[in-house]
Amino acid sequence: MASRSVDRVDLLAAGLGRRPVREQSAPEVSEDAMFVSAARSGDRAAFGRLYDRYARMVHGVLLAKVPVSEVDDLVQDVFLLALRRLSTLREVGSFGAWLAAITRNLANDYHRRSVPEDQRADDASEDDIEHASISADHSSPAAAILDAIRALPDTYRETLILRLVEGMTGPEIAARTGLTHGSVRVTLHRGMQQLRAKLSLNPSSNRPEQERP
Amino acid sequence: MWDGSGEPDPEIQRLEVLLKKFRHDRPTPMFPEIVGPRRWTFFLWRMGLFPVLAATATAVVAIAALTILVHRWKPASTTVAGWDVSSVEGTPRIGPMAIRGKDGMTRLGVGQSLETDNQSRASLQADEIGQIEVEPSTRLRLLTMSAGLKQIALDRGTIHTYIWATPGQFVVDTPSAVTVDLGCAYTLQVDDSGAGLVRTSLGWVGFKLNGHESFIPAGAACATRPQVGPGTPYFEDASLKFRAALARFDFEDSTPQQRAGDLGIVLDEARKRDALTLWHLVARVDESQRGLIYDHLTKLAPAPTGITREGILRLDQPMLDRWWNDLGFDDISVWRHWERSWSGAATPVRE
Repeated sequence: MASRSVDRVDLLAAGLGRRPVREQSAPEVSEDAMFVSAARSGDRAAFGRLYDRYARMVHGVLLAKVPVSEVDDLVQDVFLLALRRLSTLREVGSFGAWLAAITRNLANDYHRRSVPEDQRADDASEDDIEHASISADHSSPAAAILDAIRALPDTYRETLILRLVEGMTGPEIAARTGLTHGSVRVTLHRGMQQLRAKLSLNPSSNRPEQERP
Repeated sequence: MWDGSGEPDPEIQRLEVLLKKFRHDRPTPMFPEIVGPRRWTFFLWRMGLFPVLAATATAVVAIAALTILVHRWKPASTTVAGWDVSSVEGTPRIGPMAIRGKDGMTRLGVGQSLETDNQSRASLQADEIGQIEVEPSTRLRLLTMSAGLKQIALDRGTIHTYIWATPGQFVVDTPSAVTVDLGCAYTLQVDDSGAGLVRTSLGWVGFKLNGHESFIPAGAACATRPQVGPGTPYFEDASLKFRAALARFDFEDSTPQQRAGDLGIVLDEARKRDALTLWHLVARVDESQRGLIYDHLTKLAPAPTGITREGILRLDQPMLDRWWNDLGFDDISVWRHWERSWSGAATPVRE
């Protein structure tokens, strides 16, 4: 991995977030595993517990991609699909990441269904998402802000919605989506910078994480 | 923003209040009855169909296995792996090809170089890795883009990196240092002599060379020099006298008296947060000077319980690690964890 040359010195270096690995706590992972196993055996209440734990994540991911008016119905569709496919989940500890993937695929399917066949791309493009209606009331400040978040690059859009709309903390976002703390931290930081620029908000100051020129 | 702790940001609070109306608020629905696999097996046995279906399933599995084996013998896909590049300003170039206009986008492939002149800027993005912003007068090359390693070389100029890749996947090679990123945001500059500067804006960056470790938290910087490697990290708001003395101490070929003089300036000028620098210096000086640094460091950031002067003077690693953690720059076990896993993959040498 390190380079070798007469003029170079090889170093080991790492950029580090607060903790190195996926940050769902061990008790949480084992609870999910328990609920998944119970649901596989027919326990509907156990699947309901998984819904309680992951519905906000699914809702937020969909809100980043499809019209607001469609989100609640699609949340139901995601969980019904997950229920049908639960037996195919290989790693019960990865339920969140698996569910997030189902959610994104369903969002892409929604856009494919609403685009004429001869104009379809492989995945929902950012144009598809921008042209999808956001809310009935385009003049409200809230709708304008949501529009601004949805106009950001895909990577930032989802994480910001989970944080600012669904009220999830950074560690919760990491735990529910299967991302690392570091990944979520970087995307929240960068996404918020871009959102501030879009909304012409004051850049944050006096914070150790502020980017330097 | 991260976990809701600390002083609230009024702008973020306002956004949260406004956007709350879009939040999920539906109650848990009643899910349909879940039919487990055992019921199907029992049903099929009763029907006498199971042996037939089992044989069919076996045949399907065999065909699938054969398909997988055939697929693996096919030539690999010819899809070009690389970074998506767009022009932010001016006309950046990939080789001789100019990227024009804000909507111009192309791909930087392995072996290709991206260059910006003094009026152009570019942006690179790879969905599963991160984003790199390229400043004017910068040249970089894409070295590797494999499943486990994405490596670029920064020959000169300035890049701002925002990396969310799996730890250990992203590497930046410069004339005086190699950085392996584990998920953070930092700026890397290389001048025409190959000298570099790393400034961390999020998370923290670690370097290691020949047993010397450099940890650069958000708000701090660390210079690197060809043939020498990384210097001692420092906060950029330290006094000019402090930073100048530290730079001489790290990189100039001074006499022992001159080094002692520069060390004295660093210690005299150090503030409480410059404990970051003093902690690093403990392992970078002779044993005869270590006590002096310990005495200054403990005034700025008292050693936690269980740390002894003797232990620090003999560079007891667990004691040094506990003192680092007590400085509040985050848990060093993060670094130790990745250091162990990374050491198995690379054999860094100084040539």
